[in-house]
Amino acid sequence: MIIKNLTTTLFCTLLITIAVAQETTTIQLKHKVGDELLQLGTTSYTNQWNEQFTVNKFKYYITALEVEFTNGNKNYSWHKKYHLVDEANAASKTIVLDKKLNNIKAIHFLLGVDSIVNTNGIHTGDLDPMKTMFWTWNTGYIYAKLEGQSSSSKAQAHSFSYHIGGYKANENAVKKISLLIKDNATTDNEIIIEANILAWFNGAKKLKIAEEPICHQPGKLAMDIANNYEKMFSVKL
Amino acid sequence: MKTFKVITILICLVVVGVGFIEIKKHKPTPLKFIVPKGWPKPIYNFKNNPLTVEGFELGKKLFYDERLSKDSTISCASCHQQFSAFATFDHNFSHGYNNTFTTRNAPALQNLAWQKELMWDGGINHLDVQPITPIVAENEMAETLENVIYKLKKDTSYKRMFKNAFGSNEITTERMTKALSQFMVMLVSSNSKYDKVKRGEDTFNLPEKLGYEIFKQKCASCHTEPFFTDLSYRNTGMPLDATINDIGRMRITNNKNDSLKFKVPSLRNVDLTFPYGHDGRFFTLSNVFEHYKSNMQPIHNTDILLKNKLYLSNFQIGQLTAFLFTLTDSSFTKNPLFAAPAYTKPIILHQH
Repeated sequence: MIIKNLTTTLFCTLLITIAVAQETTTIQLKHKVGDELLQLGTTSYTNQWNEQFTVNKFKYYITALEVEFTNGNKNYSWHKKYHLVDEANAASKTIVLDKKLNNIKAIHFLLGVDSIVNTNGIHTGDLDPMKTMFWTWNTGYIYAKLEGQSSSSKAQAHSFSYHIGGYKANENAVKKISLLIKDNATTDNEIIIEANILAWFNGAKKLKIAEEPICHQPGKLAMDIANNYEKMFSVKL
Repeated sequence: MKTFKVITILICLVVVGVGFIEIKKHKPTPLKFIVPKGWPKPIYNFKNNPLTVEGFELGKKLFYDERLSKDSTISCASCHQQFSAFATFDHNFSHGYNNTFTTRNAPALQNLAWQKELMWDGGINHLDVQPITPIVAENEMAETLENVIYKLKKDTSYKRMFKNAFGSNEITTERMTKALSQFMVMLVSSNSKYDKVKRGEDTFNLPEKLGYEIFKQKCASCHTEPFFTDLSYRNTGMPLDATINDIGRMRITNNKNDSLKFKVPSLRNVDLTFPYGHDGRFFTLSNVFEHYKSNMQPIHNTDILLKNKLYLSNFQIGQLTAFLFTLTDSSFTKNPLFAAPAYTKPIILHQH
């Protein structure tokens, strides 16, 4: 009996030791509007067109995340292929990779969801249509959502609402994002990526809330906005 | 000591044996999908959702469960009635939550395993995501998926049925819609008089026979056998109803050439699925014939086959009607397998 107890204790200790020793690399996502940290609700921000706005929702899919190494080692793929980042869910803004990774050269991921998932039926987890990142009248995932209010908006309740998606050939809004990390090895095992909402409003498309307060379907406007927001990420050194 | 050992071994064997029985008991019973003779291979991917008796029964319970709607008054079956080949009988529009109306005529649910896209405009690209549309639509069931799953989780009979169908009592959107798909793909209508004639088990009378000939000449290029639709989207010269403003396929493709195009409806069970047209504007078959014969308003993208309307003499209309009535499949619309679970005894599915 004593021996059995001792064995169990030893085994548990061993497990705990392994767990502690196995460090991880985390990616922290920080959402900003210009220089300010995003606060959902009543905080007012100003975009490049001098339009005041507040943000109620900010969500997007990070999928097929891969880490590329400086030494040319085979890329590392995160086991969680489809990850929904939601400003309202703090845990979703921390991506914990399964192990400690050194010599990271770059991080690659898709902002959006591949066409297979858009066409092969129902999915669960972060892809559950219950997450409301899904169009029910014209099948397809919403890759990124930005909603809020602005006095510049002529839409109902002065709201603005951008739901961006589309997987068909002439409507494809999936964006491949590549972010270069420091050339040197990261030491603290934490990578901070900032996503700046102001990028949505300015780029090849001058997105003014007054002119286009709503985008709720795939097509040209969605693709234009996606072209803007693909540049919202930056790595904080 | 020896006796003790023997008893221990025996107990172990019994425990292992009982465990084996339990495991066997929880394995769902596979259900075979039968493709009617001469029909093409189904499009539905059964590998991703293997049919089982338990999954089918769960899907049927869900299909008939009003709790899928916001105020627990509307089930899938409210608008998809078996006696109407799972369309809404005698209604141009169906009734939704809080005295609302749908804006389109509920299509018959039959032979869905062969349909790549669903809805009059083809906006839904997979059967497994189709049920979400009416559940969340404000003028249909007006519920959220979150609430639906919450309600199902509170019901112990669902817990048991999900476990029997999927191996654990976890209830998710995915499992719910896959169970619904298992029920819906089984809704195969392939046993009308027409089918029996094709199989050599019956014969057409003279008007039916003449009607079939006219049908093959005038209708079959769009209402193609064996589904009596080629599942394409076409403009048949139905002018826009300004009170609804339904532009059809164009809503999905944003392409002007798809304006006022709608999916060619199947003519199977056509006698039971009136009214007709995407908005149910034709209350009778003779209204439909009248439309093709004279009331059509062809526009730039009206189907090339209908540019000069579709002339039919009254004699031809009579024969055609006789033929169309042979597409009624009462073994489908009266099959107790598909009836509301509350009104039937548990049914063992026979594979044949």
